[in-house]
Amino acid sequence: MDNLGFLFAANAFVWGGIIYYVYTLRLRNRALEKDLDLLKKTLSKEG
Amino acid sequence: MNLFLSQISAIVWKDFVTELKTRELFSAMFIFALLVILIFIFSVNLSIVKASEVGPGILWVAFLFSGTIGLNRSFMLEKENGCLMGLLLAPADRTAIYFGKLISNFVFLTIMELFILPLFMIFFNIDLIEHLFPLLFVIFLGTLGFCALGTLLSSLASNLKTREIMLPILLYPLLVPVVIGVVRMTGQILAGEPLSEMMNWIGLTTSFDIIYIGVSIMTIDHILEE
Amino acid sequence: MMNPPALEENQAEGNILVWLTGFAFLAAMIGIFIYVPTERTEGVIQRIMYFHVPSAWLSFFAFFVVFICSILFLWKKDREWDIYAHASAGIGVVFCSLVLITGPIWARPIWGAWWVWDARLTSTLILWLIYVAYLMLRAQSSAGSMRARYAAVLGIVGFLNIPFIHFSVLWWRTFHPQPKVISNEGIGKGMDPSMLATLGVSLCAFTLLYFLLMGERVRQEKLKDEIDRLKREKLYSS
Repeated sequence: MDNLGFLFAANAFVWGGIIYYVYTLRLRNRALEKDLDLLKKTLSKEG
Repeated sequence: MNLFLSQISAIVWKDFVTELKTRELFSAMFIFALLVILIFIFSVNLSIVKASEVGPGILWVAFLFSGTIGLNRSFMLEKENGCLMGLLLAPADRTAIYFGKLISNFVFLTIMELFILPLFMIFFNIDLIEHLFPLLFVIFLGTLGFCALGTLLSSLASNLKTREIMLPILLYPLLVPVVIGVVRMTGQILAGEPLSEMMNWIGLTTSFDIIYIGVSIMTIDHILEE
Repeated sequence: MMNPPALEENQAEGNILVWLTGFAFLAAMIGIFIYVPTERTEGVIQRIMYFHVPSAWLSFFAFFVVFICSILFLWKKDREWDIYAHASAGIGVVFCSLVLITGPIWARPIWGAWWVWDARLTSTLILWLIYVAYLMLRAQSSAGSMRARYAAVLGIVGFLNIPFIHFSVLWWRTFHPQPKVISNEGIGKGMDPSMLATLGVSLCAFTLLYFLLMGERVRQEKLKDEIDRLKREKLYSS
């Protein structure tokens, strides 16, 4: 049972990796959507 | 078919004439390979490690590194003077350009290797003469695999902004199987084993050569497309 | 451009997938930490397998998708396939990294060293390098047909390298446990049924996660394309 630390570390890395990846994806998506909205707004204002 | 062959030979001939005139590529490759071997000799303590054990690895690292210089050069030269544009505009098959470049890369590298081998023999105090033919066969297989993949990737990398950096990064991981194979085979040959003992490695490197030449023929049209 | 109803529909599909993935992961966690018995020889550490193997499977699957999409791109020259290949390569590299992290953590207590030059660990490392180079190639060149073509060629060349890497590294040296799930005697003979079931659930969860991430990444690339298009339109119209 003394290997529990290793198991915990591996789990933490897997979950940390997945969550971080999803988080950055979401973040980038939101930034892109904002950019798109801004673009559309400026385009419609000028057009 | 005849036209195809004459296209290939025209490209090879052109590369040779350029090289004979400038002599910059061959000397650079040779000196660089020599330097690599020297640096390894200084970094490995030959009084502890047996020369015949580390020798094959050092030899092939020197070949690969100086071969990379040759590859980098081969398409960059075309790129610099706009020659590649001329080659692409010429009514030549893209595959002919690939084969021409493959052959000239292969021949340059082989000549360089033949010059390095005697020096290697002296530096490491290994007798290569008695195993010469199997050794040359292995060098042929390894160099062909290196050039088959290297020519494809250098034609690809020559269009990138950071081509000198990207070529090794793209090429070396893909070459790992061949490198393991030829280093193993060279070691076994130097230990006096016959070629029949290493049929699995010969099969691996041969199929590597064939498959990557095939893949290059199929994909070169998409790379040399401007 | 996407019209609102289609977008909503996509959103709904995406939500179902999110729930499914979440549920599958919950089931997998219950299986891994409560249901499955502890392995006798390796002890509790063996439970890493239920993450390690699915991550490996996922990265391999992702690279296979890159290969297929690369071929389809060179054939059809459709930007869609390029997007799929790019997205899949990114996901593959992430999960390949997870394999490379969990591998040493598992190896340390069992083999006594963080890194052994074992066949499968080594091939995973080489695979990781190949696809990192693939992503670098994409990052180096500006968007356009050239980048897509080059990346596709590398996607094909890289995947065809896998059998060579496998055999060369295998003959080089190996310590890994012989594949238990698919052994010579048939699928799943080497393992307890409960372990196999847990591994299966975990594999399902990771595969669902792949599709979830794929959807997200593909949407992202399309948004980027859309923004580029609008910007270019604006630039040339003014």
